[in-house]
Amino acid sequence: MRRKIITLTSALYCLQGFAEARFPKPDFTSGYQYPEILHSVPMEQVWNVVDIVLLVAMMSAVVWAAYKKRSRAVIYSMSVISVLYYGFFRSGCVCSVGSIQNMILAMVDPTYNLSWYVLLLFLLPIIFAVLFGRVFCSGVCPLGALQELVNVKNFRISRAVSATLSVIPWIYLAFTILYAATRSQFLICRFDPFVGIFRLGGDFGMILFGVGLLILSVFVGRPFCQFLCPYGALLSVFSSLSWKKLDITKDTCINCALCGKSCPVDAIRSPQSSKVKEARSKGVNRIILFAVLLPLFVAAGSLFVGTNSDTLSLANKRVYLYEQLMEKEANPEMEESLEIETFNAMGGNVEELKTEVDEIKHQYSVYSYIIGALIGFVIGFKLLKLSLKRSRKTYEISSAKCTMCGKCFNYCPQNLKKK
Amino acid sequence: MDRRDFLRTCGTFIAAGAALSVGGALATKAKGRDGDVFWQIDPFACTQCGRCATDCVLPVSAVKCFHANKVCGYCDLCGGYYRPSVKDLNTAAENQMCPTGAITRKFVEEPYFEYTIDENLCNGCGKCVKGCTSFGNGSLFLQIQQDLCQNCNECEIAKVCPSDAIKRVSYDEAYKLKDHA
Repeated sequence: MRRKIITLTSALYCLQGFAEARFPKPDFTSGYQYPEILHSVPMEQVWNVVDIVLLVAMMSAVVWAAYKKRSRAVIYSMSVISVLYYGFFRSGCVCSVGSIQNMILAMVDPTYNLSWYVLLLFLLPIIFAVLFGRVFCSGVCPLGALQELVNVKNFRISRAVSATLSVIPWIYLAFTILYAATRSQFLICRFDPFVGIFRLGGDFGMILFGVGLLILSVFVGRPFCQFLCPYGALLSVFSSLSWKKLDITKDTCINCALCGKSCPVDAIRSPQSSKVKEARSKGVNRIILFAVLLPLFVAAGSLFVGTNSDTLSLANKRVYLYEQLMEKEANPEMEESLEIETFNAMGGNVEELKTEVDEIKHQYSVYSYIIGALIGFVIGFKLLKLSLKRSRKTYEISSAKCTMCGKCFNYCPQNLKKK
Repeated sequence: MDRRDFLRTCGTFIAAGAALSVGGALATKAKGRDGDVFWQIDPFACTQCGRCATDCVLPVSAVKCFHANKVCGYCDLCGGYYRPSVKDLNTAAENQMCPTGAITRKFVEEPYFEYTIDENLCNGCGKCVKGCTSFGNGSLFLQIQQDLCQNCNECEIAKVCPSDAIKRVSYDEAYKLKDHA
């Protein structure tokens, strides 16, 4: 690690509230000079610029590789670079996935100083998603790239299971919003399964989870991206509305089904109509039913999460401290935790804490109703979408799901013929 | 243009509009170098609970003890250097407060001693800081060494800090020092 040393004369911290020194300043007679104190400056500043430049360059490379060249080799090499640079070298923090929380904080907290760097990390992948789809997920996100590199075989998960599991990222996102907006904790960072692997150390449980996910991703394509990543969920919305759509081949599809089998995230939809035959009116009725049910789902979700907001608020440090204090008051023999000890030592006022906690609990209640509604909406909308049936003539990529790994290009006989 | 294409184009415009407006709204809040991107300990809020040494994601914490010489009393009986029950004021290991022996002391002149912290040995446990703050001038204090800090989006130590002493700071305030001229 390169060390830049400077004297931080500008950063002198004034001695407000510092009690009169117990011992007077020594009166040196031997001509003793105070040593000059040097502190290393953060190394982040230069690398932040490199991060952003590389982010744009790598996403552009993936766009070129996917849309023009139809080459997996380029995308694969981007994955290697991403894992090495963003993963192991930059040790995975701050990442675009986690930057969601900084954005939420910036929106709800006027005192929060958002940096341009984090803003760009959040925005650039979304801009690319609006234009070209989930380019970021492809080979630029170190979390996705790591799973991509270990993936060997793709066992197909049944559509019913994967449709159910695909709600999880939204629930994850909803709770991330709740906990970030109430300044309680950064859920995405806490449950990041791969950061421990990149840093070669960290919370044992999370590393175990990360290794487990990696073993799973040998057999199932990108389990984290498909069934956990909240940023992926966000990008999939923008991607499904994207300006350009990726197609597997420039030539006419011969419906050989090879691409569909190669896709690790099951994003290629076949032209065959549904196996279950039913009358058209039955399908239409189902759509109408789900459309009517949608507001009910929203209301039910909102009520369910909203009424549990007090329990959820225990994740907040201050609320937890207050609960502990109350417990201690009810049961004085209870062992005093470090938090209570510090609170008392610093002359904490229980009444003031109570007003603060009431304010936090109020915020929790408001946000709980909002995120509950979001969860309800997502579940209702997914059901509605499942009952929409489109007839296709050829194999098509679902741009919401496609993570642009480029595997299908190499399986398509029309592409191979050209090479 | 058929109906589906038309709807699709509308969707793209809505998505682009949403992305741009959210981005624009956030951009008005973004501050270049003044953005709070570094973690730092407020030495006046720190209670030296010892969690800095155990909760950092690094194998050896990025929190180190800093020494403000200009605040130091250069005492012989130093609350940060010696254990409270010390009998003889000598540099024997059993007398030292620091579990890793990171503090060295040097005789300057009667009766003053200079204390220096070896950052490579320091693990940020804050025992010396507690001793110095309780019995001395408080010239020893804990700071996050910025070139070691991994700059996690959420600091693991900040999460468990009982006095909320760890906050985000901007580049210009990367350290909160106790020295003063």
